[in-house]
Amino acid sequence: MATINIALPKAALTKSKTSRRRINTGLLLSILWLAVLGTLSLVSLFWDGLDPIKADFSSPAAAPSADHLFGTDATGRDVFARTVAGARSSFAVAGITLTVGLGVGVLLGTLAGYLGGLFDRVIGILLDSIIAFPALILIMLVVTLQGPSLWTIGSIIGFLTVPSMARITRASTLTLREREFVTAARLLNASRVRIMLREVLPNVAPIALAYGFTVMTVSIVAEGSLSFLGFGLQPPTPSWGGIIADGRTQLAAAPWISLFPAITLCLTVLALNVVGERVKGRNS
Amino acid sequence: MTSFWLGRGGRALAVLALLGVFTMALPQLIPGDPAIAVLGTQATPEQIALFHSKLDLDQNPFVRFGNWIAQAVQGNLGTSLTTDASIADEFARRLPVTLQLVLASQVIALGLAIPVALRQAWRPNGLMDRIATGISFVLLSMPGFVLGLVLIYLFAVRLSWLPATGWVPFVEDPLGNLRTLVLPALTLGLAEAAIYGRALRSDLVTTLDQPFIHAATSRGMRPGKILVARAFRPSSLSLVTLVGLGIASSIGGSILVETLFAVPGMGRLAQGAILARDFPVIEAVVLVAGCAVVLMNILVDLSYRFIDPRITHGNN
Repeated sequence: MATINIALPKAALTKSKTSRRRINTGLLLSILWLAVLGTLSLVSLFWDGLDPIKADFSSPAAAPSADHLFGTDATGRDVFARTVAGARSSFAVAGITLTVGLGVGVLLGTLAGYLGGLFDRVIGILLDSIIAFPALILIMLVVTLQGPSLWTIGSIIGFLTVPSMARITRASTLTLREREFVTAARLLNASRVRIMLREVLPNVAPIALAYGFTVMTVSIVAEGSLSFLGFGLQPPTPSWGGIIADGRTQLAAAPWISLFPAITLCLTVLALNVVGERVKGRNS
Repeated sequence: MTSFWLGRGGRALAVLALLGVFTMALPQLIPGDPAIAVLGTQATPEQIALFHSKLDLDQNPFVRFGNWIAQAVQGNLGTSLTTDASIADEFARRLPVTLQLVLASQVIALGLAIPVALRQAWRPNGLMDRIATGISFVLLSMPGFVLGLVLIYLFAVRLSWLPATGWVPFVEDPLGNLRTLVLPALTLGLAEAAIYGRALRSDLVTTLDQPFIHAATSRGMRPGKILVARAFRPSSLSLVTLVGLGIASSIGGSILVETLFAVPGMGRLAQGAILARDFPVIEAVVLVAGCAVVLMNILVDLSYRFIDPRITHGNN
């Protein structure tokens, strides 16, 4: 890797009062959006008023109304209920992705950064070869071969986020390794495992968690793309990508079938991005 | 320096070898016999044996990869299981389509990102900067297939200016080619533009605070000239990295856009091959795409020295 041997001054972060207030409004709206969506998707588990599969055959492809907030799809199923159920799938996959990506990534990154040497090199080459693999092809292939379950989709997307998570944690571990408190622990004859667990990891974790929001957006977009291509969760399980793909043929006559889940998907990713930026900004 | 490039090349080869062995191990990683998965449970033992010998499946992944390389350097990428067509011929037809799409999308992305980022960095936190930042944030939050659908809805369904899907080859009808190229290239390009713009803006803001820029300002150089002639080049490191990454990843990663717009490129080929479990085609696509990523990374590293001669390559 290329290294820059000159000192560059850090970007002058000039934030005026007005821009700070604006960001707070955005942040508030983002948190609110995620909370509402999360609550709705939990409520829909118990309340059959939000049944994503129940079809109202008398009104197929009906425009949005008081009865059907987001309209109905070609078979008369409520698009709002389907969108909420889609959120459930997306959040479930994102949760699995986050666990795999953060768990394995942080472990590998901390080990590679702290141990260095041959281990660091081998891990580096391993991660590079994962990056060189075309991501969507790998996901589609694994899902085709293993069957499209929440677990398979979540874990394979998580596996693909491991390289970036590991690189980020490795970089922070490298700087942490040289800090006084780590040297102090070493002088106190603390074991490597103890130093890693008690000194390095607690300092790496917040940085990794901040990137967790990015991992979640990547997961939601990847799961959506997969379902859009027909490789994701299979019907009748609703997922955003699948609903949007279903509405594609009716784009001219009933645009709401694709439009509302698409807006929900984008707003969710946007909200996660806004919150993530904020948390990252806090850390640095 | 020499030792750096030796190390860099060695690492690249190690990465490619690992990718190759992993790719070759894929058919064997599926639970059960890949022959049954492809031929179905009705297959006779002879058919299964033929399938195995055709795919070299009796060998371990290392040997299979060795054999594959030996054939590949002679220009033979194997034959498709489903169509029996030569994969090399198939690539010769499809790679130009994907490359044209990638090239067009990069032109759009850079054409939008560079001027906007320069304007943004000139007055950070000004009105233009905030509008552009807002738009790029929205674009970054839009998955490719949503952006593509929005473009289809606007330009094909509502305005009927452009065809929603389809592909006309350049040699048949250059104008028709352009019409079918615009929407898929925009879909890829707009998303990239947002990524490039954000990176370039933030690098430019850092550069504009450097002494040599203040020196140029105090000598009375015009802001436009400072931005273009002084600040742009040293600020383009992240941009070049991202462009390299973007080009490399779209060789195997334009599946979504190609499917959405029915563009007969590498992505469609890969999707079809995955559905049919056509392992020789999948292996060839993955390895070609992997080579593109590794090669691009080296090119990007190489370009750093031209962009900023102060950069030296350490042994990190």
